[in-house]
Amino acid sequence: MSARTASVGPVTGDSEQVIETRGLTKHYGQVHALTDLDIEVGGGVTGLVGANGAGKSTLIKILLGLLEPTSGSARVLGHDIATEGEEIRRFVGYMPEHDCLPPDVSASEFVVHMARMSGLGASAARERSADVLRHVGLEEERYRPMGGYSTGMKQRAKLAQGLVHDPRLVFLDEPTNGLDPAARADMLRLVRRIGSDFGIAVLVTSHLLGELEQVSDHVVVLDAGHLLRSSATGDFLERTGSLLVEVVGGTTERDRFGEALAAAGLTCRPRGTAIAVEPAPDGLSVHDLVRDTAADLGLGLMRLQPDRRHLEDVFLDDAPAAAAGGSRG
Amino acid sequence: MAEQRAGVIHDLGYRHYDGPREGVATIARTLYVTGLRHAFGLGRSGKSKILPFLLLALCTLPAAIVVGVVTIVGLSELPLTYAGYTNQVQLLISLFAAAQAPVLFSRDLRHRSIVLYLARPLPAYVIALTRWASLATALLVFSVLPLLVLYTGGLLAGLDVGEQTTDLLKALALLLLVASMLAGITGFISSVSLRRGFAVVGSIVALVVVPGVVTAVQAITSEEDADQVGVVAGLASPWSLTNGLASAWEAGVTVFTPPAGGWVVVYLAVAVLVAAAGLAAIVARFLKVGSQ
Repeated sequence: MSARTASVGPVTGDSEQVIETRGLTKHYGQVHALTDLDIEVGGGVTGLVGANGAGKSTLIKILLGLLEPTSGSARVLGHDIATEGEEIRRFVGYMPEHDCLPPDVSASEFVVHMARMSGLGASAARERSADVLRHVGLEEERYRPMGGYSTGMKQRAKLAQGLVHDPRLVFLDEPTNGLDPAARADMLRLVRRIGSDFGIAVLVTSHLLGELEQVSDHVVVLDAGHLLRSSATGDFLERTGSLLVEVVGGTTERDRFGEALAAAGLTCRPRGTAIAVEPAPDGLSVHDLVRDTAADLGLGLMRLQPDRRHLEDVFLDDAPAAAAGGSRG
Repeated sequence: MAEQRAGVIHDLGYRHYDGPREGVATIARTLYVTGLRHAFGLGRSGKSKILPFLLLALCTLPAAIVVGVVTIVGLSELPLTYAGYTNQVQLLISLFAAAQAPVLFSRDLRHRSIVLYLARPLPAYVIALTRWASLATALLVFSVLPLLVLYTGGLLAGLDVGEQTTDLLKALALLLLVASMLAGITGFISSVSLRRGFAVVGSIVALVVVPGVVTAVQAITSEEDADQVGVVAGLASPWSLTNGLASAWEAGVTVFTPPAGGWVVVYLAVAVLVAAAGLAAIVARFLKVGSQ
């Protein structure tokens, strides 16, 4: 790794960093939640990955000004967390990990109230709430008390209150927690949209790398309060930029294809019904080679995609190194 | 044409908000008004309105009856003073405070929606102060309303304006103290014991049981010619403080062991201190929750 500080570039036109931390440290007595953290986060969607207890929620609370860091400093939207918390909280949205909805109020009423607590006037609050509830996909149920909501609906309501004041940056703490696969996919799509269509910078946490790979432009990996890595999602994949290729047919076709690719100078391994193609030596275009080989053999290409396992592989490869070199404890 | 368009949902896409954003003072005022309404169940479910309004009716009805009697019989003065009236309905005021404080202080903490407030511009101590102000105002409205009925009815019945106004002002000063103390005590209890049941029971102990014990002690000490002990005991509850002051100010309340001389100042100081301590405890509680 080149440096502890890795800049993750913005995807929007806005060149300003939305989050910047310098030597951010938080200790609870003997427990070191965050240690000397230097992070820069730009626009778009940034994934914050780490196991439970890696310091993700602590970082968010410090950035919101709800917790005071033991040492170090941070700027959010250009404001200092130590002195300009009020200004930060005016333009930041927060969706906590835990349940935080009063059960006896409807989502509609609650989101309007939260909009007003962010400083919107009565009519603007109503208008924005209706808009945002529609965007997160709460339809008629928005008029029912939230106590009767499913986990998916609760997550949507929590997200709506975090977006209702049109923040410039939103912290989403484990938004897919407790959701079934379909609801999870919906939520991830929504997170993606917030970052791209809505133009709101997103810092989203998860302990599942696969999820963040789907929605994030950048990934910041925390391990026990240390920064493990921070870079664009693509970089993670490029490092070990393997491809997963599958052709129509059974193992016979797979093996024929694999041998042909190997003959053409690629390193291949069978994996299930597919073939994992290792990164090619310089000057060799893997995609073209795969296509041409398939055409030559008369095989139908069924799948050609980056090997998704590798984001996790990178994480696993890095973890022991950082643990050994880190000054934890 | 219109029919064709009827079923179409036009997705306008995400729209940004570039309108005004209010400052802390305006947001706090909004929270204050919402809290005040919620204390009476307004803007909440129909069920939540029953208790506050039932208590309010019970508290006000006797005043209306008194006014009726004064008008019909043609009395030259009210059968009881304003402070005396408050003294008679003190149980209802206590119940209102005990029942409604959890609405303002337990809900946000129990359901952890407090985190959503804290992630917004209002600082924790402003939220705590605003909540306290909402409850104190609700208590003031609750306890002053029957007095206004008495006052208006009394004046319409032709009672002496100067006399009635002086009496009312004494009662209002006392109620200001009562509301501040009760909001501080019940607010703090509700922000610590988040289960509504525990909060209500705790508040009733502080506002009904303890004053009852104090009154008993005062009755005994007055009987045993140990008045001084009774006066000191009066410092132990918000109601005995209030009633002691009312008696010292000749507002029409009699207590077994009335404070006199320097004790009046002590009573007043302790009352203010109780209110301030309750308020400070609430603020401390919110600040602690905010940093969790």
